[in-house]
Amino acid sequence: MNGIINFANSLFKPLIDMGAATIMLIVLTLIAVLFRVKFTKALEGGLKLAIAITAIGNVMNMLTTAFQKPMMQFVKHTGIHMDMQDMGWAPLATITWGSPYTLFYLLVLIILNVVLLVLNKTNTLDVDIFDVWHLAFDGLFCVYVGAPLWLSTLLVLFIGTMKIINSDLMKPTFNDLLDAPEGNPMTTTHMNYMMNPIIMVFNKFFDKCLPWLDKFDFDSTKLNEKIGFWGSRFAIGVYLGVFVSLLAGNNFATEQGWKDMFTLSFIGGSCIELFSVIGSWFIASVEPLSQGIADFATKKFSGRTFNIGLDWPFLAGRSEIWAAANVLAPIMMLEAMVLPGNRLMPLGGIIAMGVTPALLVVTRGKIIRMIIIGTVELPIFLWAGTMVGPFVTNMAHSVGAAIPAHTLVSDTTMEGPVEKFLAYLVGNAWKQQGMFIVYALIALTVYLLLFIWYAKQMKKRNAEYAAAKKAN
Amino acid sequence: MSREVKFIAACGAGVNSSHQIKDAVEEEMRKRGYNVKVDAYMIKDVNEDLLSHYDGYLTIAKTDLSFKPKIPLIDAGAILYRIPAMAKPVYDNVEKVVKEINAK
Repeated sequence: MNGIINFANSLFKPLIDMGAATIMLIVLTLIAVLFRVKFTKALEGGLKLAIAITAIGNVMNMLTTAFQKPMMQFVKHTGIHMDMQDMGWAPLATITWGSPYTLFYLLVLIILNVVLLVLNKTNTLDVDIFDVWHLAFDGLFCVYVGAPLWLSTLLVLFIGTMKIINSDLMKPTFNDLLDAPEGNPMTTTHMNYMMNPIIMVFNKFFDKCLPWLDKFDFDSTKLNEKIGFWGSRFAIGVYLGVFVSLLAGNNFATEQGWKDMFTLSFIGGSCIELFSVIGSWFIASVEPLSQGIADFATKKFSGRTFNIGLDWPFLAGRSEIWAAANVLAPIMMLEAMVLPGNRLMPLGGIIAMGVTPALLVVTRGKIIRMIIIGTVELPIFLWAGTMVGPFVTNMAHSVGAAIPAHTLVSDTTMEGPVEKFLAYLVGNAWKQQGMFIVYALIALTVYLLLFIWYAKQMKKRNAEYAAAKKAN
Repeated sequence: MSREVKFIAACGAGVNSSHQIKDAVEEEMRKRGYNVKVDAYMIKDVNEDLLSHYDGYLTIAKTDLSFKPKIPLIDAGAILYRIPAMAKPVYDNVEKVVKEINAK
């Protein structure tokens, strides 16, 4: 496989020298055309991706440049080693889609989905093409750490298979949470639900030891209403500017000290808003390809009814997701400050959308459990985010983001933290060998066994759902 | 052209599912000869005041609200399946609301 890639590299060298945005314009357009998307639609998608990559690079540059100096002072002043900037999901998604290898992993995962459908191992047709970036990120990180492409592809297939099986396991729970009729095809293979097995362990603990805690569950819609705009993206950006300025030791006896604080706050707020605006261009750019793949797959399997794998937010109407995220935001800030080994200063990822949907599914909306388990598992996200920082920064540079030297960027709440550790161990098992091979094998085995145990629990749950329906 | 009818769509980050619904509904309504605009939001930012500026709310599935909305709620989740036959009833429901508003 590496031979093919070397050959392709020599052929495409002049193209690669044009930079990530230009490459992706051409590659995305061509792949969409391959899936029978009309050329103008395909080109529209390619262009949108190119401008999204360019824009996200510039906004990251603006944010990191503004925060770089105050954050260094913050570290010096407080002794807390939080020097890595949290971009949230949108920049990470965009730069991951800035690598042509993401399209390679996409094709591998489409083939996997088709094979599992043909073998009747799943009933889910995944049309959430955009979110392939989570697994592509792991594959790319595995390669960055030292694995060859084929090994990273095996890892992606290993996790990808479980992700698809998980969507079938969760389907009855989705119907329950949404009050949906049997015929509703909504499900998801979203990466954040790969935390379910670990959450399930804690949830069992609550069942056995702390069931009385559920009495304290409160009305999530009321809490969210009270928080109102104070929990919105731009407000959080502003708080962080104030927070960093205070702890960086701005001299508030001078006008300059105040001015710096306000400037930093407004840059924080505006960058966070811009990230999501650019995120929407970028998702629109993958849209023609997604439709092309969906058309292609439904035609190939005509006559068969599927569950359809979507992005997670068909659950976003459940207010517990937002109540838990609102409560977890300040908790994460505190944890980030005291957690040994964490270098991330929460900002873009502080609304933990990559964390709370899985909590909802496993606990089925028990809000106190969601908050407590969330508090316990957040450190895994912070450590994983810290670990991938150099890789993310490297990738950002390669798509042309002019992040200042000695500044690192990452995401505090990116989906699939455990899978990043797997990618790290597998990458090192290849590169350093020795004990890393043992660690990687142990980690993969534990990961698999835990998933099998979780699958058994979910099957029990699903049998209860089926029995309850019969009884009605 | 008839007056602009405004809908709101909302999802997790206000950028993916809600934008898919926005683009699909705007395009289909244009084809059917209506002037429809859809704005995409994060669900957590949807409140009574925001909804008061719209003629209808395109939800994805069951949505918890702390108040009783005064505008019609239309379940638009089926658009996300990317299968035209499944999306059609959603468009028909939207068209019904648009027609009612235009008749006022």
